[in-house]
Amino acid sequence: MRSTTTRRGRTVVVALAAAACTLVTACGAGESREDAAPEPAEDVPGITEDTITIGGHWPLTGVAAPGYSEIPGGAQAYFDYVNENGGIGGRDIELVIKDDAYNPTNTTQVTNELVQQDEVFGIVGGLGTPTHSAVIDFLNEEGVPDLFVSSGARKWGETPEEYPYTFGWQPDYVIEGKVIGQYIAENMPDAQVGLFLQDDDFGEDGEMGVRQFIDDQIVETVRYTPGNTDVGPQVAALQAAGADLVLGFNVPSYTALSQLVALRLGYEPQWYYSNVGSDPNLVGSLLARFSEGAVEDDASLLDGVMTSEYIPGVDSPDNPWVQLWQEVWDAHGEEGELTNYRIYGMSWAYTFVQAAMAAGDDLSRDGIVEALESGGAGFVGPGYGPFRYSADSHLGLSGLKVVELQGGVGEELTDVLVTDLGDAEITEDASAAGDAPPENGVPSAG
Amino acid sequence: MQQLTTTLLTGLTLGAVFSAFALALVMIWRSTRIVNFAQAPMAMVTTYVALVLIDAGASYWVGFVAALLSGFVLGAVIERVVVRHVEGKAELNAVILTLGLFIVLHAAAALVFGSRFRSFPAPFGVRGLTVGDSTIPLTGFGIFTLVSVLVVMGLLVALFRGTDIGLRMRAAAFGPEVARLLGVKVGRMLTLGWALASVVGSLSGLLIAGGGLVHPGYMDSVVVYGFVAAVLGGLESPGGAVVGGLSLGLTLSVVSGYVGSEVVPLAALLVLVVVLLVRPGGLFSTVHERRV
Repeated sequence: MRSTTTRRGRTVVVALAAAACTLVTACGAGESREDAAPEPAEDVPGITEDTITIGGHWPLTGVAAPGYSEIPGGAQAYFDYVNENGGIGGRDIELVIKDDAYNPTNTTQVTNELVQQDEVFGIVGGLGTPTHSAVIDFLNEEGVPDLFVSSGARKWGETPEEYPYTFGWQPDYVIEGKVIGQYIAENMPDAQVGLFLQDDDFGEDGEMGVRQFIDDQIVETVRYTPGNTDVGPQVAALQAAGADLVLGFNVPSYTALSQLVALRLGYEPQWYYSNVGSDPNLVGSLLARFSEGAVEDDASLLDGVMTSEYIPGVDSPDNPWVQLWQEVWDAHGEEGELTNYRIYGMSWAYTFVQAAMAAGDDLSRDGIVEALESGGAGFVGPGYGPFRYSADSHLGLSGLKVVELQGGVGEELTDVLVTDLGDAEITEDASAAGDAPPENGVPSAG
Repeated sequence: MQQLTTTLLTGLTLGAVFSAFALALVMIWRSTRIVNFAQAPMAMVTTYVALVLIDAGASYWVGFVAALLSGFVLGAVIERVVVRHVEGKAELNAVILTLGLFIVLHAAAALVFGSRFRSFPAPFGVRGLTVGDSTIPLTGFGIFTLVSVLVVMGLLVALFRGTDIGLRMRAAAFGPEVARLLGVKVGRMLTLGWALASVVGSLSGLLIAGGGLVHPGYMDSVVVYGFVAAVLGGLESPGGAVVGGLSLGLTLSVVSGYVGSEVVPLAALLVLVVVLLVRPGGLFSTVHERRV
């Protein structure tokens, strides 16, 4: 009798181990939109007489999905708008959207599908630091343009000789860290700073920028692993170290989670969240339900929180770019309102159209890289600062401003601050921020 | 000191949730001799039932009761319609079947309820208790969680030890043939076992959701940790499940706070391996009681 029981126990255990492995990988089933790939008419994959097919990977499900899952919808709306206005040199843009659930294993799989089955011209706007890191080598070995990675890790653009086909788009986390670091050093020299970091290049790069200015003010550094939703011990460590200003380089759901834990601990420091994690509408909607008895009303949930901005968002409806995005969204958007994430998708979609136009009629994979390197720095777009594209740098936008959220609207604390990696100085330069979009909303060739 | 208190109290609340989940596993193991991997998505589905009701304007407690009731029905239906076909066959069949159910329920929930994150209300607020000037990092809901787990444990012990129906359920699970000869309605007992286990699972789903974010995968980490807790306690004993859950919660919280959150899953598996090597029957194994 006893031996039977033990054997039964072992079976259970073996099954347990197998199940644990399965569970870790099995939870990402989601929707993905696959358009049939057209036969390439010429030698260039993804390009036919009248279409240009591109693709990307986004977390449509899973822990990073809130907010981020809206990005491809924004890009899709802008591409539809461009197609209606004649496309790129007569070619319609087709976007293939794949779900990777923010899981690098899935990213590898869906990127393989995009390149080998769908035969896309290039990957555009692929999202996430850990996820995209898994495919950057593959894309560069295959010579597939890997444009405007939706992440601010510096590795997308710092070493073009290593990754000639990859381009960043948004300001990298290092310069974002530098800008907030300098702001704190100048305006809050007595603050005891705690860092709340995602445990990968995202947090590492941000920390690197911040430390250039306030290394001696940092009293504690904690890291969270994406997927582990219990950040109680991390926030407790910040509280115990006496941090009265917490800088978060984290994704939006972790902004909500850290705020929840802080409520539980009765911990009330000044918070700064990097641009990526600070969307007041999204975080507000996640936290709104707890507002009863905990905070006064929805709009005030992130009041007083500092963050950075590099493109205009829904809180500035009078900005000509936001007016263009609103028009595009009203005409071609899916259900729901225009959000900052949709604007983000439209903004890099705009840069893609710009680059493809600049590459001219005989669009090729090397041609678009060349067009970005030679002309990208002069592209006019919604960004507050200029792009840094050149043969030596594939880093994206260079300008940000520090803002404080009040009632869901960012109030400026600084002008646009433009800088680069390393010791590059931080200068006030709002010259690119005044650019307006072209009349018809589509960038012209050349 | 403050950090240690905070870490331990966080761990205790977390451990209570693991315990609740482990109790559901113990319940189903004792009443049907099956380890139910689909427990987590079943609980996820019933939590969404509560959320839909609360979104429609019902009070938290209406949603709470509705989730438990739908858990009872869901458990019974799954046993009667799906699991019944593999009962009495090789035990691996049932395990694989529940794994399949796991994936099916997951996908179905994503279709029906959507896969975005939604916040789930907590009935007692999400601020820590304040005593004088200091805040004790234990919310009213955390206390409710701990109390519910202890109550459920008491009820399960009472059910299996003290009631006629508990005895019949165990008999049906251990020796279906003999039990049937003695007049126990075996099929009905198995259905009841699944239904009750599913109620306990639903409770754990509600407890972990309260004051947090809900999405189709929110129970997934609890599956792994809940199983470790149940094995730690020996799969047989409700008390063991609670002690296993609480000690695992405390251990993982301390590991997360003082070593790093990236090693938490590793620590959980290490605990599992050590327990299996040293005490394969679990800390509170009651195997000897069954030696005849």
